[in-house]
Amino acid sequence: MISGVAMVKGGLGVPWAMMMSLLVYAGSAQLAALPLIVAGAPLWVIVATGLITNLRFVIYSAALRPHFADRPLGQRAALGYFMTDFTFTRFMRSVQEDSLPRENRDAWFAGVCSNNWITWQLSAFSGIIGASYVPTDWGLEFTGTLALVALVGPSLNAVPAVVGAATAAVVALIAHPMPFKLGLFCGAIAGIAAATLADAWQQRVPPAHVEDT
Amino acid sequence: MNDPVSGIALAVVIVGLALSTFITRTSFLIAGAKLRLSHRVEVALRYAPECTLAAIIVPDVLMHPPGQQLDLSVFNPRLIGALAAGAWLCWSRNILGCLALGMGAYSLARLYL
Repeated sequence: MISGVAMVKGGLGVPWAMMMSLLVYAGSAQLAALPLIVAGAPLWVIVATGLITNLRFVIYSAALRPHFADRPLGQRAALGYFMTDFTFTRFMRSVQEDSLPRENRDAWFAGVCSNNWITWQLSAFSGIIGASYVPTDWGLEFTGTLALVALVGPSLNAVPAVVGAATAAVVALIAHPMPFKLGLFCGAIAGIAAATLADAWQQRVPPAHVEDT
Repeated sequence: MNDPVSGIALAVVIVGLALSTFITRTSFLIAGAKLRLSHRVEVALRYAPECTLAAIIVPDVLMHPPGQQLDLSVFNPRLIGALAAGAWLCWSRNILGCLALGMGAYSLARLYL
């Protein structure tokens, strides 16, 4: 719903916001791309930003692969496209608890995903339509930024994540005058590098845990 | 106010973003067993979202008026709103409460400061 409100109040026309919700179907990527779209950033900057925000799904799809390896290509692609943070987490938890019969896993996952898709689209549409009746000077476009804060906040529970986010923020601020919103990339890449280093450093600290295989 | 963004350019952007969703989510499901993730790459992918979002949020909040100059004072309503939202997140994971408090603080700061 928030992504719907933010898209309309950010300046997207109602039909465009609906199309974006239906096709892109990734709240964080939509919210991240929105200020760039509104600012008129070049296509590749917007798409690359969506891509980086979606990178976590690469890990998810790698984790899902063993469970669906025997399925036909089209089905694997569909299951992947309709996966979200929520459905992935639920699926992995059920697999861990062993509450899923092996042969029905694809049906179960497809069910959870379609349910989630319908709920998400309905609430996004109500956000889009509702927001189009609210005056612009209420400042509702700020909900987009706040929603990003709510997305990031809980994931800052590990040292590398905090180091990465802080580095990204500082570099993005310094590089802000760069054209085409390139400061965003400098920030993101510096942050990822810092997080990777912090992670490697953290692994090295307790020598008792070294178990290389 | 400027017109809502629309047109062919926006359609292309939407298709591009949809592709970014498709490619990342289906990557390993389509590629099969040939590809493997090294530990280094997996770590980088894991922290990529937080870093990107921080690089978006922080300039968005601290540049006031938006996109112009750094404003760390209490007269920056976006900073007040974001701090209120962050403070809420420290003791509750409830997103609606976070948004309500953040928007409330932002609106009050905009009206009275």
